[in-house]
Amino acid sequence: MGYPIWDLAIGGSLLMALVAIPHVIVSHFAIGGGLLIAVTETLAVKRGDPELRGLAKRSSLVLILVSTVFGAISGVGIWVVAGLVSPAAISTLIHTYVWGWAIEWVFFVLEIVASLVYYATWDKISKGAHLLVGWLYFLGAYLSLVVINGIITFMLTPGRWLETGAFWDGFFNPTYWPSLVLRTGICLMMATAFMVFPAMRAAAVHRDRLVRYLGWWFAAGGLVSYAGYRWWEAVLPDSVHALFQGATPALATLAVTRHLALWSLTAALVVAVVILLARPRLARPATAAVLALAAFAFFGGYERLREGVRKPFLIHSHTFSNGLRVAEIAAVNQQGVLATAGWAARAAATDPAGIGRQVFRVQCASCHTLDGYQSIRQALPSLPDVLAVTADDPPGSGARTYRNRCAACHSDVSFDDMKGMLPSADEVRGGPDMIRDLNQGMISGALVKLRVAGENYIAADRTRMIDTSAFPSPYMPPFVGTEEELAALSDYLGSLADDREPRMSMRGGE
Amino acid sequence: MPTDLIPALDAAGLPGPPWLFHMLLVSTFFLHMLFMNLTLGGTLLAVIAHFRAGGRRDDPRGALAGRLMTVNGYGISLTITTGVAPLLFVQVLYQQYFYTATILIAGVWLAFLLLLTLGYYAAYLYKFRGAPTRSRGGGLWLVASAVMFLLIAMVNVAVHLLHAQPERWADFASGAACVLRDPTYLPRLLHFVLAGIGAAALLATWWAVRRARAGVEVELNTTIAGFAWRWVLWATVLQVVDGVLLLLLLPRPVLSAFMQGGAATMIPLTLAILLGVGLLVMIARVTSPLASPGIVSGTLGAMVLTIAVMSITRHQVRTLYLEPSTRLYEYAVAPQWFNFALWVVLLLLGLATVAYMVRRVLDAPATGGDAA
Repeated sequence: MGYPIWDLAIGGSLLMALVAIPHVIVSHFAIGGGLLIAVTETLAVKRGDPELRGLAKRSSLVLILVSTVFGAISGVGIWVVAGLVSPAAISTLIHTYVWGWAIEWVFFVLEIVASLVYYATWDKISKGAHLLVGWLYFLGAYLSLVVINGIITFMLTPGRWLETGAFWDGFFNPTYWPSLVLRTGICLMMATAFMVFPAMRAAAVHRDRLVRYLGWWFAAGGLVSYAGYRWWEAVLPDSVHALFQGATPALATLAVTRHLALWSLTAALVVAVVILLARPRLARPATAAVLALAAFAFFGGYERLREGVRKPFLIHSHTFSNGLRVAEIAAVNQQGVLATAGWAARAAATDPAGIGRQVFRVQCASCHTLDGYQSIRQALPSLPDVLAVTADDPPGSGARTYRNRCAACHSDVSFDDMKGMLPSADEVRGGPDMIRDLNQGMISGALVKLRVAGENYIAADRTRMIDTSAFPSPYMPPFVGTEEELAALSDYLGSLADDREPRMSMRGGE
Repeated sequence: MPTDLIPALDAAGLPGPPWLFHMLLVSTFFLHMLFMNLTLGGTLLAVIAHFRAGGRRDDPRGALAGRLMTVNGYGISLTITTGVAPLLFVQVLYQQYFYTATILIAGVWLAFLLLLTLGYYAAYLYKFRGAPTRSRGGGLWLVASAVMFLLIAMVNVAVHLLHAQPERWADFASGAACVLRDPTYLPRLLHFVLAGIGAAALLATWWAVRRARAGVEVELNTTIAGFAWRWVLWATVLQVVDGVLLLLLLPRPVLSAFMQGGAATMIPLTLAILLGVGLLVMIARVTSPLASPGIVSGTLGAMVLTIAVMSITRHQVRTLYLEPSTRLYEYAVAPQWFNFALWVVLLLLGLATVAYMVRRVLDAPATGGDAA
């Protein structure tokens, strides 16, 4: 919390997704491609098959241009973005797992050198030597996954590390092996999805054979991925399940993401069976693009899910998404959040009326923006929203507005109850300033609940994964700070709706 | 000094003693510098050579540009790969300074990724579509690549100066661009640029001398060696001047502490100055590099040693910049010796594997049916 805060219009989490998702697609392609290209060249040498050899050679050009350039840069990019949007969390990860990353770097060096040598030595060295380079490339690439998988899964399920603080307890955590199986399958899918394109450039008489060859790899990758995914889901604790599964998941969007991911995998497998295995002649750039997009959608969906179900943590039960550590809650409540956030305090000192804004930047801005991704302003009810609910004219419009604008936060209150709690339409029209009081009251109530959540975290056993399912808003970090800071934050957030343009689509009650 | 803007040390502590991470940071930075010099200096030298040749491949200078960018096709990758390790270790030792500095110029720091991607692909485009493969042209890709790499150097120098001066963060917060007005900014940037040009030119000379003495394209390689050698000379002359200027422009407390640091700081500095002057003497003595292959090789070795020594000096200057802040706390240390030992073993195994692979490749040239 002591770091300066980067005011990013699109939000830190979206920026991370923009860098990380292309990176993981490319990096998994680089690993799976390493295996497929090495196997393909080995088979080509054994069988004396120049077409298979051509496929391996053409694919290796894509591999070097995409993975060693974009893959390497975007990999550094994840560190860069993490340092900008979540410096405290990435610092903890690096201090805990520096030797893990250092080991991964060794494999990365092997991977990069081997990929450069492999590409540069086609037609120049003996077959045996070239095969050796290809297999060493795959070894380096896969071992780097073996290492980084431990650090990634640690963030969601730190396991016994919470109790012991020991490197290997966190590394071989409950989701380590399921995730490794899942990612191994994904590597094969990503590689095949890319390699179909060079395969289609083969001579017509060999094209179907090569496409079908890749089809078996894709199917195997898809089935391994599915098995790994189900295993991964099965080992997640109940409190994590509650966020995205069950009759009323706490985060409905993650439930949708899960469905999207699994249906995308199904679609990818069906398309692969049809265009790669059953009717290879249907493998055209357009159908291959559909296959690739379905595979990417599954992978992207899984990554979104993995990141999302970690809420409200960056490192589960240890560090929240805003950089606050569970162990710090009591101290920050006592001292005040601005007393522990020098940069925000400095900004607040030059603008005392902006204390609420600075508290927002420290505690909320890691997930919420004012007007962009996860916009706070758009989440607040406006005067037209309230009028639409209270007037309900024409009949039914109020319930529709309630569903669109209120139900996400007030799922425990029905439309009729909500209408009963609000002032009448005439009262609202007579005193439009009441919307600010209404917002402040709601926000203040929500913040008090989040402060209570903080007490729950203080009382929780921090030597094991904290069961957040019974906490208020289990996907949000607790509010920490003094009473004055809570009041300043609710004042600030309540004022945000003042300067908002009425949304034309929400005019039902006007 | 005011400390309210300096974030707290990470509670996780260091997974090894500080000296170990200082050592790893300097040694991996040195490794990174070797390739970075080729990437930045090699691309800048390629621009010069390309345009001096009028963009023609059949001119020796155009051939030199092609050679440099062919090497860079691999060198840029290795620059990134070797840059990962010092980036890791600087986050271990200086996280509160480094992250803060990058956040202060967040947009620019993020843009560095885009610049790197564009610079890399532009280098590839020159390699595949410019003078190296066609008779002429491609200069635009080359210039684009060089500009991107120069901008990246500017960003990194800015981050370095920002992270090393926490006492000035309050000023930087109102506009971090003022770091460009730091008296040492330009000399520091030039120190990297000139080192890069000198090192790349020296490597090009060494390779051309080697090829010419082996009887390969003797006329072409002799001309290339002569051209590149002149750039080694001028880059080194300017580098020595710039180095002295940079030293004198250091903040007075840093300079004083550096000069009074005893053997720890004076030995590397003295060695660096001696190496710099020695390099100049060696280079100036040679008018025809082809006639003095031993001096060319010796100069190359001396330059690598100079880069190593300067990496140490640079780190020492950083610690002196930060000393008013770092003396206020002590790192908590929770060593992970087993993991460190595992890393060392895997590093040795990895390097041995790379060496074995390279040896197998060099020992197995093949043509026709034998070739892969």
